[in-house]
Amino acid sequence: MAASVWRRIGWRNLGRNRRRSILAASMLAVGYFSVVILMGWSKGLVAEMIGNGTGILTGQLQVHAADYQPDKSVHATIGGREGTDVAALVNAVRADPAIEAATPRVYGGGLVSTGSATAAAVFLGVDPELEPQVSRIMRALERGRHPRRGANELLIGAEMARSLGAEPGDTVVVVAPAVDGSLGNDLFVVSGIYSTGLADLDRTFALMPIDALQFLMALDPTRIHEIATSVPDPWQAAEAAERLSSLLEATGFAVGVESWATLRPEMVEYAQLSQAFQWILLFIVFGMAIFGVANTMLMATFERRYEFALLLALGATPGVIVRSVLWEAMALGALALAAGAAITFPVMVWWHRVPLDLSWLFGDFTMLGALMRPVIRIEYPWLMTVQAAVALFLTAALAALYPAIRAARIPPADTMAGR
Amino acid sequence: MSSWSLVRRTALAACFVALPLSAAQRQSAQEIVDRVDQLLRGRSSRGSVTMEVVTEHWSRTLEMDIWSLGTEYSLIRITSPSKDAGTATLRAENGIWNYLPRVDRTIKLPPSLMGAAWMGSHFTNDDLVKESRIIDDYDIEIGYEGRRDGVEIWEFVLTPKPEAAVIWGRIEEQVRQSDLMPVWVRYYDDAGDLARTMSFEDYRWMGDRLVPALMIIRPVDKPEEHTLLRYRDLAFDIGLDPSFFSLRRLRRDRN
Repeated sequence: MAASVWRRIGWRNLGRNRRRSILAASMLAVGYFSVVILMGWSKGLVAEMIGNGTGILTGQLQVHAADYQPDKSVHATIGGREGTDVAALVNAVRADPAIEAATPRVYGGGLVSTGSATAAAVFLGVDPELEPQVSRIMRALERGRHPRRGANELLIGAEMARSLGAEPGDTVVVVAPAVDGSLGNDLFVVSGIYSTGLADLDRTFALMPIDALQFLMALDPTRIHEIATSVPDPWQAAEAAERLSSLLEATGFAVGVESWATLRPEMVEYAQLSQAFQWILLFIVFGMAIFGVANTMLMATFERRYEFALLLALGATPGVIVRSVLWEAMALGALALAAGAAITFPVMVWWHRVPLDLSWLFGDFTMLGALMRPVIRIEYPWLMTVQAAVALFLTAALAALYPAIRAARIPPADTMAGR
Repeated sequence: MSSWSLVRRTALAACFVALPLSAAQRQSAQEIVDRVDQLLRGRSSRGSVTMEVVTEHWSRTLEMDIWSLGTEYSLIRITSPSKDAGTATLRAENGIWNYLPRVDRTIKLPPSLMGAAWMGSHFTNDDLVKESRIIDDYDIEIGYEGRRDGVEIWEFVLTPKPEAAVIWGRIEEQVRQSDLMPVWVRYYDDAGDLARTMSFEDYRWMGDRLVPALMIIRPVDKPEEHTLLRYRDLAFDIGLDPSFFSLRRLRRDRN
């Protein structure tokens, strides 16, 4: 007999006890929903962590002098002592298709002092126009305004402002050892105060125009430590780093190009852990469903044992019986998938577009140094929607296998005789 | 261990010369180190120093004047080069201040910066101004006693006491028996690795005392770098009192 007939019979058998079929299908549908939504949330969490962890300051990809890492020496500027054509290099980096924006940076270490209170600081010399396109630290302005190019102005974090007792408009002394061994020192005006919510950052980093820091540290305007970039799809950053590395090597720059994956390896590890977790989740959810479905199928086949006995007596082979039960399970799977998809996809789109806000329940928290909002934000887990569908059918088939084999082994005469 | 005050201590170690040697030899290791350590307390000094700093990326020479009173007060003012002239560091009553003439401002340094380099040299702020007594922080014993390179010496091993808040895991110090002049001091980190060495040379009479006029400090991890400190002149017991070490004095160009 053609397979399509057994397929039809399998489908129709579902209708014999509709309530039971709906309950069994619901179990699989809810399993599908749980797995896909949980994985979408987990993906959203990873995306949020990477976005915040790299977006506030690091950027998703950085270019340095080859000898800059790991010591981060202030002497290791791109292009060595002579430096480089900064604008041309920034443009070359920005030309990469994966990169949205790029900005030059200079780093220094030193002190910010009001006289009576002094704080150690990491100075970040930035291009006030380009920097906000790459990182969010300047966008976290709480009071005052951004420092202006060409002016001795300083943007400090809320924690540093608190420990110094400094307000926008106050004059502070900035001290930074220069690259020629002298002690760079000058007066700066606190132009503004930022607050990222990350206490370490808000305590440590002080931003000033790149030219002001270069002057303070006796660095020529051609000397910078870093080009930071933003890569909208963080998973393209590693590839872009390789591309840029070979491109810049060809133009004669001795540079190191690092993606966030190199700069923040703990985040990659977390993403991998979350990947591994999806298989465990899949196994647990459908592993539970398998027993429920098996129970239902066992009941359904037990009720129909006279039927199977008659079919066998009429010459049907045990294989035919197994197939008919399996097709029934497949039909159940199809029903469950349709129902599962019908509830999953709208919720998925909804929580992707409007993340479920749980801030009424608990506040912001930090994870691996990234500030997290208490929201259930879903990133589309496209691969998982397919994997979960396959798992759903596999569950239905495995659950039906034992009842099918039992049905095929019914002794026809005894069963029909009611023995 | 304060290497800076070590200079001052050892500068005064010349007092031992007058002591009969047998008496010095009878002293325990602790007494010897403590006497060297203690000799400067309550005494004042004024000196002119040339500091030569050589690093991988730059080298420069600073000239400065130093005043001190015991281990609690000190004032260091840079006189050359002109770019840094007037820059001064004051330690008084557990505080350390820097004066920056370019911006005409005085800033107080937080305790967390005590380990930071002073003016880019291989000396730390802590080296300049730490006041505690060696015997309070370290257990001292003689590691070696006898002749090295034809000179009778002691080698002391200084081990931090369990409760002492010090940055070194161990210090070794070689002192000449004849005149109690230090030869070298070796600083080991907590892992027991040699971190830096300080050597003393050019012993000469300054003021009324025999002192090592030249000190060289070398970090072990950067063998090509060093800071060299040479006393051009040095006077003792010049009658300073604590009021000399004021913030007003810190800002003044001439004293």
